[in-house]
Amino acid sequence: MDLFPQFLANGLVMGVFYALSALGLTLIFGLMRVVNFAHGEFYMLGGVSGWFVTNYLGLDFFSGLIVVAAFMAAVGWLVDRFLIERVRGQGEEPGILLTIGLSIFLVNGTLLLVGPAPMKVAGAVAEGPLFFGPIAVTKLRLLAVGVGIALIVGAHLLIRRTRLGAAMRATFQDPMAASLAGIRTGHVYAATFALGCTLAALSGMLLASIYSAQASVGGLISLKSFVVVILGGMGSFAGAIAGGLLLGVAEAMWGGYVSMGMVDVIGFVLVILILLFRPQGLFSIRTERA
Amino acid sequence: MRNVVLGGLLLTGVAASVPAQAQDTVRIGLVQPLTGSVAYNGKSVVEGARLAVEEMNAAGGVLGKKIELIVEDGQCTPANSVNAVEKLVQKDKVVTLVGAFCSSATAAIMPVAQKYKLPLITGVSSKASLTEQGNPYFFRAAETDALMAEAFAKILANDLKLTKVAYIGVNDDWGRGGVEEFSRDLTALGVKTVLTEYFDHGATDFFTLLTKLRAAKPDGVFVAAETQDGSILVKQIREMGLDTKVFGVGSWATADFINLTGEAAEGIHAAVPYASSMDTPRNQAFVQKYQAKYGIKPGKYGAAGYNALNIAGQAIARAGGTDAEAIRASLAKTSYEAPNGVYKFTDKGQAYGFEAVLVRIEKGEPKVIASTPVDAPH
Repeated sequence: MDLFPQFLANGLVMGVFYALSALGLTLIFGLMRVVNFAHGEFYMLGGVSGWFVTNYLGLDFFSGLIVVAAFMAAVGWLVDRFLIERVRGQGEEPGILLTIGLSIFLVNGTLLLVGPAPMKVAGAVAEGPLFFGPIAVTKLRLLAVGVGIALIVGAHLLIRRTRLGAAMRATFQDPMAASLAGIRTGHVYAATFALGCTLAALSGMLLASIYSAQASVGGLISLKSFVVVILGGMGSFAGAIAGGLLLGVAEAMWGGYVSMGMVDVIGFVLVILILLFRPQGLFSIRTERA
Repeated sequence: MRNVVLGGLLLTGVAASVPAQAQDTVRIGLVQPLTGSVAYNGKSVVEGARLAVEEMNAAGGVLGKKIELIVEDGQCTPANSVNAVEKLVQKDKVVTLVGAFCSSATAAIMPVAQKYKLPLITGVSSKASLTEQGNPYFFRAAETDALMAEAFAKILANDLKLTKVAYIGVNDDWGRGGVEEFSRDLTALGVKTVLTEYFDHGATDFFTLLTKLRAAKPDGVFVAAETQDGSILVKQIREMGLDTKVFGVGSWATADFINLTGEAAEGIHAAVPYASSMDTPRNQAFVQKYQAKYGIKPGKYGAAGYNALNIAGQAIARAGGTDAEAIRASLAKTSYEAPNGVYKFTDKGQAYGFEAVLVRIEKGEPKVIASTPVDAPH
């Protein structure tokens, strides 16, 4: 039982990381209804470009983070205007095919440019352990949790409290009515997609400073992010946090008390359970879609 | 013989895209993971292999022709590796196969090589049982976990004063094999096992596993992991504030591992069949050429690719033709002078005679602290 506090702490830290990496998908899949299989690749691009700006351009971590955010916002905007827009309003399948193709393109493009070697993103603070009683964490992890929570709150406020956020919500509820009311829905779609990409990339860079960046990490991130979004409920930030924490803690407990070897199974067991008993997710704001 | 084979293939339409003319190169197929969590290590094998082919071609090739290396991505998975081999055999008509990387993948392509009666050499896969399957076409130009454990268990137990050891391995045939062999040999020396855990390829967070490790209070931890997983794991062991001694198998004695792991790499021990700091003239020449070509010192896998291709090339040259049976027969008579000793094969196709080393990472360099020739298994 003395291991419990550390397992719980590990689970909560992982939970925030999961919520953070799923945040972009909450917007793109949860709100925009684009089943984005390239989500993990945007996360990967964040890590790889974070490595590039800190290693080659010599920027410190936070300036690098801002450069990566600006770059990935531009990438996201262009992807939406030139690719996603072509399949908008044609149901989910063309979007699925498009994003699968995009993810293959991005992985292999990255492999071609930087190769398969893992890359190290220099962290913002030193890596040594910190002890709170029996619980060990690192400064870097605490920092990532802090930045993660700030990003989640920031994204929530953006959607709920700003004109752009109101335009987004209007557009996704009823695109026709929104454009009749004078909202430039094309821009709103692009802005949302850009925001989703940026959030994915920021989490990618933040977590690459703790683990490492590598061209082929995207697949697992996409899978876990879908798990988090489905657990939490489509388009809900509170849901993404709850889903992330639930997944993180469940994995930590399973890994801690049962076996590490099959820990990736847990997420899918949770998804099956939630689809059986509460298909709209824990916090869905659109129960009618269930 | 070839015309019969070609005719058969054309009839089935499989080879429709390949002109049925005599090849003007000798083709060797190489299956390695080029994507996924061991892609980086697979790439090192390919680099070493290309260097070997370049050298042989510069020296006039074999059978009066140039050697052509055809590389396919097996992704370290059994299914993809089998597909890659099918493609190399059916479409590219290679005369010898080299691969795959992961033991699970190699186990899957062994019967395919046997089906097509093509020699298969692995320079990497170290699960002991592969050479016990009686596949006459299979040759392993690598150490096995059992041989490494036998060679170094005693040195490790004495030097590190081990009494209680935890074992952590990647969840595949290689990781499980390494953990089994080392725990068996160390247990025989009176070292207690306090924890055995496996993690999946590509796992990034080990804090839960390390929490258990901390509670088990071992004075040494054995790790079987490759560059990416291993570097993150070793880093997190230190991040958890654990100062237990770390030793293991995998590509640890490489510049990249040390660079990724940073400070945390200091003082860890690795049992490897090759380290760039090995002190032989052949190795110094190899390191120099490798560094000139790739800008980095060769590690275990660069050397593995280099050795496997040289063994294949020399066997084809000795066979005097591309007939698979002749190549197989001449492979069995291999006596290849590698940077790390002389490779010969037992009747089961297991290499022996080369040196294996135990290195300690000191000030960012792998320092050889013990060296022993790998004997034929008994």
